[in-house]
Amino acid sequence: MAVTIRGKGVISGIAVGKIMLAGQNLDGYLVDYKPESLEAETAKAEAALTAVADILSESVERMQKNEDQKEQAAIMEAHRMMVQDPSLHDSIIEQLQETKSAPQAILKAADANASIFEAMDDEYFKARAVDLRDVGKRVAKYVLGVKEPEIGDEKVVLCGQEVEPSVIAGMPTEQIAGVLLGAGSTTAHAVIIAKARAIPTVVGLGDKLEAIADGDHVIVDGETGEVLINPSEAEQASYNEKIKKQQEMAAYYASLKDLPAVTTDGVKTELCANIGSHMDVDNALTYGAEGVGLFRSEFVFMGREDIPNEEDQFKAYKEAIEKCQGRLCVIRTMDIGGDKPLPYLNIPKEENPFLGYRAVRISLQRKDLFLPQLKAILRAGVYGKAAIMVPMVINVAEFKKVKELIEEAKLELNHEDKKYSDSVQVGIMVETPAAAVMTPILAKYVDFFSIGTNDLVQYTLAVDRGNASISYLYNHFNPAVLRLIQRTITSAKENGKWAGMCGEMASDPNAAVLLMAMGINELSMSAPSIPRVKEKLRNISSIKAKEILADVMKMEDGDEIKAYLSKVL
Amino acid sequence: MTQETITIENKTGIHARPASVFVQTATKFKSKVQIKAKGKTVDAKSILMIMSMGLVKGTEITIVADGPDEAEAVKTLKELVESKFGEE
Repeated sequence: MAVTIRGKGVISGIAVGKIMLAGQNLDGYLVDYKPESLEAETAKAEAALTAVADILSESVERMQKNEDQKEQAAIMEAHRMMVQDPSLHDSIIEQLQETKSAPQAILKAADANASIFEAMDDEYFKARAVDLRDVGKRVAKYVLGVKEPEIGDEKVVLCGQEVEPSVIAGMPTEQIAGVLLGAGSTTAHAVIIAKARAIPTVVGLGDKLEAIADGDHVIVDGETGEVLINPSEAEQASYNEKIKKQQEMAAYYASLKDLPAVTTDGVKTELCANIGSHMDVDNALTYGAEGVGLFRSEFVFMGREDIPNEEDQFKAYKEAIEKCQGRLCVIRTMDIGGDKPLPYLNIPKEENPFLGYRAVRISLQRKDLFLPQLKAILRAGVYGKAAIMVPMVINVAEFKKVKELIEEAKLELNHEDKKYSDSVQVGIMVETPAAAVMTPILAKYVDFFSIGTNDLVQYTLAVDRGNASISYLYNHFNPAVLRLIQRTITSAKENGKWAGMCGEMASDPNAAVLLMAMGINELSMSAPSIPRVKEKLRNISSIKAKEILADVMKMEDGDEIKAYLSKVL
Repeated sequence: MTQETITIENKTGIHARPASVFVQTATKFKSKVQIKAKGKTVDAKSILMIMSMGLVKGTEITIVADGPDEAEAVKTLKELVESKFGEE
């Protein structure tokens, strides 16, 4: 009998694969770590230093063969030398006297040395502190047995208390069979990316993760939240039945792939995909996506130590746009704030990052960040049909300023003699109540609205979507939310613009019926949700949907609306 | 003991890449090799110590070697600094 643990299944599907521990936050591991004698800890630290140096040497050798990776190879080589540095070794030995724990001593020694660099005047040397901490973390991880995510041949199930979004984003879809998280949030960025790629995911496993070791074979049921560790052949066989059913369902959905989302009386809604990386487009198209309604550009910015340059961004956007093959690809500009600290942004810790310095507020103050992004999108626009979507807008002035900067970007591109597209649409993400209320005015300036319901619900209802004790209040059918959505769609229509939605609500088939009745043009969602929504819309008439909408708009309570829709649809 | 004093001429000083080339070269010699600059003396085989000195363009450094191949070590390292590490 295999050991079975259970968490909360958030992305359904059965995954079979080999566990790869990918915990990036070491706190939990450090608490659990049981140090041995001082001699043993010293030996472990020294062995880890040698082993990591060997691993780095191998990567350096591999990278040097590739002309594109020469620069990276040089950095890795510097990392290797840091690992083997006599002075780092000495400070680890010193720290061991105090901490008695090899991983703690390694982290502290790296940190102490990093502080020396941080105190220096020269910007370049200051930045080396990041390298040193990275190196320290890597060696400490080795002692703790936390594996670096590496790409092998076998399909893996990524597993950790937390998995950094950049780790998942950086791996090809076909490599990741499943994701297991100790943390409980269903809206964590790692989960959002997994959703875009239909990777079966179980969250909230907490301490139960201790039952899992690196390299274990597991079966993950993303529906029930069950994880079977090292299953027997009989158990494997019983799951084969489920896998078969899953394949049948997939085949049915695949048959809908090329059919449009048209009601029985001919009203068509465009169904697009939300993606987190240019690598997600192919997968999205297999679900029948008619374009990309939201390309989250954050992952271009995350998991790195300096500002991504225009060229790197251009390549990522160009690839996504080309893969869309003439369908619209909406790229959202940087939507980052104090909740996702980036070393090169230097945002001080904020009391309330969701009401703070984030998204377009940063972009408008940091031209060094924003202009390269705008230029990259404008240039990539040449290779298909692109749109720029600005997040977190609260007033007309912000949008006007964005438009000015787009003109400035074009001017620079003219000077640099680089080709760009003049037909890139520019719109906003309606995710603040202020923007939703102002849509009749904003509609005169924008090319489109896309409603971001995750934040719109959160800001309208003053409910933190991650807070479990008030999550019952978080409901996209709340009448206040529905009124803001309807207002946005109407404003767009009256001004000859289009309106879409790119929040979680768009993937709720019952909500899709209401939105279609309100006259929405496009719904963008995680690609695997497309067939379910499509099926719903193809089996109702717009007349019937409008009747339901009229009933709903008379109701007073979100839960009542939700229950009513489940009954009639 | 052999020593030589020179000035760093390359534009970016001894940052990560030149520092790693310098350390790799110093490590090839059996002699103990040190760098003296800004009133400090550090192990020339430690990239951290070298980088922590913040050797920018125009800094005067003294390379000191002590051991069986000291003359060769100082000569090689001096030439390396003079060559600006192949940079500008």
